[in-house]
Amino acid sequence: MSIRVDVAAQRARACKTFMAQVHATEAKEGITPSTLHALKLKLVALAKRSDLFPMADFAMPQAHGRSHPLLVEENDGHGLYLTISLPGKEAAPHDHGIWCANAAISGRERHVFYRRTDDGRMSGSAEIAQVGEVLVEPGNGMVMADHDIHSTVVVGDQPAVSLALYGYALARFPSVTWFHPEFASVRATPSRRHAA
Amino acid sequence: MAPANKTFQVTIRNSGQTIACAADRTILQAAIAAGIDYPYACATGNCATCISKLEEGKVSLLPHGDAALGKAQLKSGLTLACRARPRSDVTINWLARAGR
Repeated sequence: MSIRVDVAAQRARACKTFMAQVHATEAKEGITPSTLHALKLKLVALAKRSDLFPMADFAMPQAHGRSHPLLVEENDGHGLYLTISLPGKEAAPHDHGIWCANAAISGRERHVFYRRTDDGRMSGSAEIAQVGEVLVEPGNGMVMADHDIHSTVVVGDQPAVSLALYGYALARFPSVTWFHPEFASVRATPSRRHAA
Repeated sequence: MAPANKTFQVTIRNSGQTIACAADRTILQAAIAAGIDYPYACATGNCATCISKLEEGKVSLLPHGDAALGKAQLKSGLTLACRARPRSDVTINWLARAGR
């Protein structure tokens, strides 16, 4: 028990230190492609400290995907989470409306990146084209700007466990835009920006 | 597991329509193909926009997030049209409208 408490305290300190580094970088240089890359590298470094994130401390999903808050700031602050996704868990191409970074602790998740190719004039309709992909596995990660578009799928037979840093906490997310090439459609979930 | 070429009848209470849905297609896919304005957003089991009451029949669910459909909701007869593939004839009723 005391070892587990020690790990939890160490984890909390490490997350707090990480977030302080994020804010220091942001305050000095703003959120730019290069600072987002720097934040991703810091997140990858944190994820490499797997001793801080023993699976015994984090419940597995009841279904196939679950996010555990590690450090969630108030108001317009950032959110740092540990996410667990089971094999086959996926997300269609989407734009969070806010920047984010991911770094793997264990398992593998494929992120495919897209750009929108239509002019956006037809309501409910959209076209996208694939522009790249990355396999997020231990030792690497990915980062996206506010309106970048990605899809995800957990590959292999092991859960994908990763750290996720978002510009806003999940509970205060902007509208997320979902793209569906199969239906040639685009749909949005409501913004949570005015949530408590 | 139902054979992929098996087809079931899906009745969508909100629109009053009954459509065919192959066992390897989701109810949402079949509904959209039939021109039904079924509410959805992520279509991959993350947002719960397509959360629906499964009034009759059986479905199997593709992977989805806990936040979209929890164990208690599942037990109470709710399902996600975007993740649900029919395993019998089904009657379903969506609970929300989508943002566009």
